[in-house]
Amino acid sequence: MAAARRLKRVVASQPGFLKLKSTSDSADSVSSRRKRVNKNKKKSWNKHSDINDVEDFLEDVRHQERTTGGLLSEKPDDSLFFLDVGQPKKPEQKEEAVEGKKRKGKTSRPLRIDLILQHDSLIPPPKDVLAYQQPNAKKLRRIAQKAEQLAAKGVVPRRRKQLPSRRPADRKAKKSVTEANNNPDREYYDIWGQESKDSADPWYLQQTGKKLVNRPEKLNEKPSVLPAVEVIAPGGSYNPDFFSHQALLREAHEVEVKKQKEEDKIERQVMVNKDDTATEETILREQVEGLVEEENEEEMAPNEEEEDVAVGGIALAEKKTERQRKREKADKIKEQQRLADRQRIDQHQQLFQLRSIKASIKQQEQGTKEKQKVRKAKQEAQKSQPRRLGKLKFQPQDLEVQLSDELAGSLRQLKPEGSVLKDRFKSLQKRNLIEPRERAKFKRRHKVKYVEKRAFREIT
Amino acid sequence: MGGLQKKKFERGSATNYITRNKARKKLQLSLPDFRRLCILKGIYPHEPKHKKKVNKGSTAPRTFYLLKDIRFLLHEPIVRKFRDYKVFVRKLKRAYGKTEWSAVERLKENKPTYKLDHIIKERYPTFIDALRDIDDALCMGFLFSTFARTGKCHVQTIQLCRRLTVEWMNYVIAARALRKVFISIKGIYYQAEVMGQLITWLVPYQFSHDHPTDVDYRVMATFTELYTTLLGFVNFRLYHSLNLLYPPKLDSKAESELKDENEEDYAMNSECYLEKLSALSASLSRVVSSAEEEEAELDQFPIEGEDIEKMEAREKEHTQQEAQKKLFEGLKFYLNREVPRESLAFIIRCFGGEVSWDKSVCIGSTYEVTDETITHQIVDRPNIDKQHINRYYIQPQWVYDCVNAKIRLPVEDYFLGVTLPPHLSPFVEEKDGDYVPPEKVKIMALQRGEKPAHEQEDDDEEEEEGEDEEEEEQEDDDNNDDDDDDEEEEEEEEKNLKKMEQQRSQGKSLQVKVTPGKVKVENTVRLEQEEKAEEKRLAIMMMKKKEKYLYDKIMFGKKRKIREANKLAAKRKAHDDAEKAKKKKTRK
Repeated sequence: MAAARRLKRVVASQPGFLKLKSTSDSADSVSSRRKRVNKNKKKSWNKHSDINDVEDFLEDVRHQERTTGGLLSEKPDDSLFFLDVGQPKKPEQKEEAVEGKKRKGKTSRPLRIDLILQHDSLIPPPKDVLAYQQPNAKKLRRIAQKAEQLAAKGVVPRRRKQLPSRRPADRKAKKSVTEANNNPDREYYDIWGQESKDSADPWYLQQTGKKLVNRPEKLNEKPSVLPAVEVIAPGGSYNPDFFSHQALLREAHEVEVKKQKEEDKIERQVMVNKDDTATEETILREQVEGLVEEENEEEMAPNEEEEDVAVGGIALAEKKTERQRKREKADKIKEQQRLADRQRIDQHQQLFQLRSIKASIKQQEQGTKEKQKVRKAKQEAQKSQPRRLGKLKFQPQDLEVQLSDELAGSLRQLKPEGSVLKDRFKSLQKRNLIEPRERAKFKRRHKVKYVEKRAFREIT
Repeated sequence: MGGLQKKKFERGSATNYITRNKARKKLQLSLPDFRRLCILKGIYPHEPKHKKKVNKGSTAPRTFYLLKDIRFLLHEPIVRKFRDYKVFVRKLKRAYGKTEWSAVERLKENKPTYKLDHIIKERYPTFIDALRDIDDALCMGFLFSTFARTGKCHVQTIQLCRRLTVEWMNYVIAARALRKVFISIKGIYYQAEVMGQLITWLVPYQFSHDHPTDVDYRVMATFTELYTTLLGFVNFRLYHSLNLLYPPKLDSKAESELKDENEEDYAMNSECYLEKLSALSASLSRVVSSAEEEEAELDQFPIEGEDIEKMEAREKEHTQQEAQKKLFEGLKFYLNREVPRESLAFIIRCFGGEVSWDKSVCIGSTYEVTDETITHQIVDRPNIDKQHINRYYIQPQWVYDCVNAKIRLPVEDYFLGVTLPPHLSPFVEEKDGDYVPPEKVKIMALQRGEKPAHEQEDDDEEEEEGEDEEEEEQEDDDNNDDDDDDEEEEEEEEKNLKKMEQQRSQGKSLQVKVTPGKVKVENTVRLEQEEKAEEKRLAIMMMKKKEKYLYDKIMFGKKRKIREANKLAAKRKAHDDAEKAKKKKTRK
C-alpha cells in the first residue's frame, strides 16, 4: 500500500498530472492567515499542520481509480477522446426505437434497488487472505512428509496394521435398528417355525434383564366370548328380502322408541308442576297472610298445651313385691321345662316323620340346584355382555338401517350406511378389550372476554 | 387375645387389583404409552366382582387391572423403548428450539424404534392361535388400506396395510379358500376357510369414509400396528404352506403378459409391482413349479356303525366343496367400469374364472371387450349400446349369489334392467321350522338338482308347494315325511271312488268291467318306515308322566315355531300378490 501511495504522490508531483476535480484550494490557502504555532509536539503537529491538500489529492486519486480504473494521466488518448462527427442523421427514429426498446425491455431491466446495491467501483475487492490459509498447515505438511518417508522405507503405521483385525461396520444391522415398525417394505420370516435359539447363557440373560418372562396362560383367554366380526342381520343386505328388512327396521324402531321413552321421562321429571304455578287465589292468600287467620291460631294453642302435658308425664313403675318375683321365677322355669319337653317329644316324633323330612331335604336340594343352574346361565350370559370398565358405560352403536325408500336398486347406486371404523371401534369396546372413553374436552383456563370494537360499535 | 390387628383392604381382592393410574405410575409411563403397551401385550382391564372392596370402600367407577398382569408388564423390553422415545422427543424439541439442525439430523437418524416380533410369538405360541385371531387383523388391515393419505394416520401404515391385504387376497385366490360373500349396506363381508378355520372379515366400500369424531385414532393405530405384524407373519406362513414365494411374485408367464408399454401412466415405478399384484388378475409363482396339484383324497378308515353316516356326510361335503371351488372355471368375465372391480375380480379369481377390465380402469387387464371368448360381461347400468351376441350381460349380484348358492344360478333373473331377486345373507342358517324366504327355497331346490320348468309355471308351482308344505306341517311333524307317499296314493283312490259315486248318483249305468288285478308290490322300505312310526307312537304312549310332559312341551314349542313361520309365509304371499296386482295395474 505504502509503495503504491508513494508512487501516486510521485505521479502527482509531475507536471503532466491532471486533476479530476479542479478545486480552488490554492486560493483558500492564500486567503487564510498564517498563524505561527509550535509544532514540536506530535499533538500540536497533528493539530496545526494542514494536510487538506494531501487529503484532497489522495481523494482525487481514489476517485479516479474508482470511476475509471486507473489514473487518467496514464490512460491512452484513445480511451479518453473521440471524434465528434456531429449529430446522428435520424435522431427521431432512433428515439422511437429507443422508446420501443424501453417498453419491450421494461420487464428485463433490473430493479432500481438492485442497481443501487450493485458494486460500481472499478477496483477489484481485496482478496481475503485468511480464506486461503489452512490452520496447522505447517504441522500437517510435516506429518505428511514424515508419512511419505516412512512409506518409502516400507514401515506400515499402527492404525493401518490394526485395520484388518477390526470388525467391518455393520451397516445393515444399524439400518434395521432405525427401521420403523410400519415400514411398508419390511420383511417377515417364519416366526413359528424356528425354535428360539438360546445362544447366550441363561444366567447371563436373566441377570441382564434380557430373558423374556413366560406369559401366564390365563392372559391368553379372551375377555369376551363374542366373535370378532359380527355379521349384520340379513335385513342389512343391500337388496334385502322383504321380511328380514322389516324385522331389522322393527328392531331399529324399538331401539328408537326406548330412547324416546327415556328422554320423555327426563323431560317429565324436569317439567314445572302445574300445581306450583301461582293462581289468583294463591296470590290473594299470600297477600293476606297473617292478617285474617287469628282465630285458627287461638284454637291451635290450647291443643298444643295438652299434648305437651301428655308427653311430659313420666309413668313411674311400681316396685315389685317378693311374692311377685318368686312367682315370675317359677313361671319362667315352668315355661322352660315345657319347651324342653316339647322339643324332646318333637325329636321323638321326627323318627316317624323320616319320610317327609327326606322329601323336604330333597326339595331343598333341588331348589339349590336350580338356583345354581340359573346363576350359571346368568354368568354365561354375562360373558357376552360388555362389562363396566371405567367411568362410562358401553353405548351400543346406532343400528345401521336403510329405509325402504333409501334402498338402492343396484350395486352402483348403493349408498353405504354407517362407518366401518366406528363399527370396529365399538366392537373392541364391546369385547372388553378397551374401556369406553369420551374424547377429552377442551377446557379453557380463563374466561374469554368479549369486547366490542369501536369501529364496530359505531356502526351499530 | 394377641396378634396384630387386621387392617382393612390389606388382603383379599383389594390387593389383587390395581387402578389404572397406579399401574401407570408403577410402570413410569404416560397414559397414552400405557394404553399402547396394554394393547400390544394383550392385557385388558378387568371388572372386579366387588367393586367396593377393591376400591377401598369407595364406589367411584374406576378402571382396574389385575396386579399380576401389571407385574408381568414390568418385564417387557418395550417399556424401556417407550421411555427412550420420550427422551428422544425431549431432545429433539430442544434441538429444534435452539435451531441446531445438525443435532436434529443426528437425533432423527438414531430415533428409537421397537419390534413387535417377540410379542407376536409370545401371544400366539402356535400358528393356529394366530389364525384364530386373524379376523380382527384383516378387518383392520382392509379398513386402514382404504384410508385417504391425508394425515389421519401415517402414510406408511396405510401402505403396509395395503400390501398385507393384497397378499392375503392373493393367498385366498391361490388356495381357493373363499366360502361366502355378503354385500351389506355397511361393507362387504367375506368368509374363507383357511386350514380348517372359518375366517370372516369386513371390507368397507371404497371412498366411503367420513371420519367419525368419536373414535380414538391413536388406539386404532396401535391395534393396527400389532395386527400388521401378525398378518405379515401369518401371510408368510400361509404362502409357504402353498409353496408360493414370499414376498409374492407374479408368475413369469403372467408377468410377461402384463408387461405394458404405458405402465408409467398408472403408477410410479416403486409402486407398480404392488399395483399389479393388487389387480389380482395374474397367478403367483411357486417355489417348486409343480405341474398340477394332485387332488387330496380323503383317507378311508375302517369304521363301524354310526360313524359311517358321519363319514358319508363328510365325504359329500368334501365333494361339494371341490365342486364349489371350480364354480367359475372355464368362464371368462369382463367387468364394465361401473362395477366394483376389486371385489368382483377377487371373487371370480377365487373360483377359477378369468377376468379382465377396461385398460383405463386399472393396471393388469388381460383382454379387451372385443374378445370373442368372453362368456359373461358384468354390467351395472340400465342398458348398453353395443352388445356382443355370444355373451351374457349380467348384473354383478349374480356373481355374489352364485358363490353363496354354490352353483351357477340361471342368468335370466340377472339380465340387464331386470329387477333383481333379493340378495340373501349366507350367514343365516335356518333350523327346521324357521321361516325360509321363498327365494332361498328356490335356490335350495336348484342345489338339489331340480329344474324349474318355466318362469310362469314356476311361480304357481312354488305356491302349491308352499301350500303342501303348510298342510304337512300342520299335521304331526314326526311322521309327515313317511306318510307323504301313501297319502298321495290314498288320495288317488279316493278320487276314483268319488268319481264312481258321482256317476252312480247321476244315474248313469256303471261301466261294469273286470279289470285285470294288479300285483301289489310289497314296498319293504315303506313297511320299515311304517314300523318305525308305529314304534315311535308306542314309545310315546309308554312314556312316564314327567317325560311325557317334557315331550309335549318340546313338541308344542316346535309347532309354535312352525306356526309362526307359516304366518310369515302367508304374509309374504299376500305381499307378493299385492305386488303382482300392482304391477298388472301399472302394466294396464
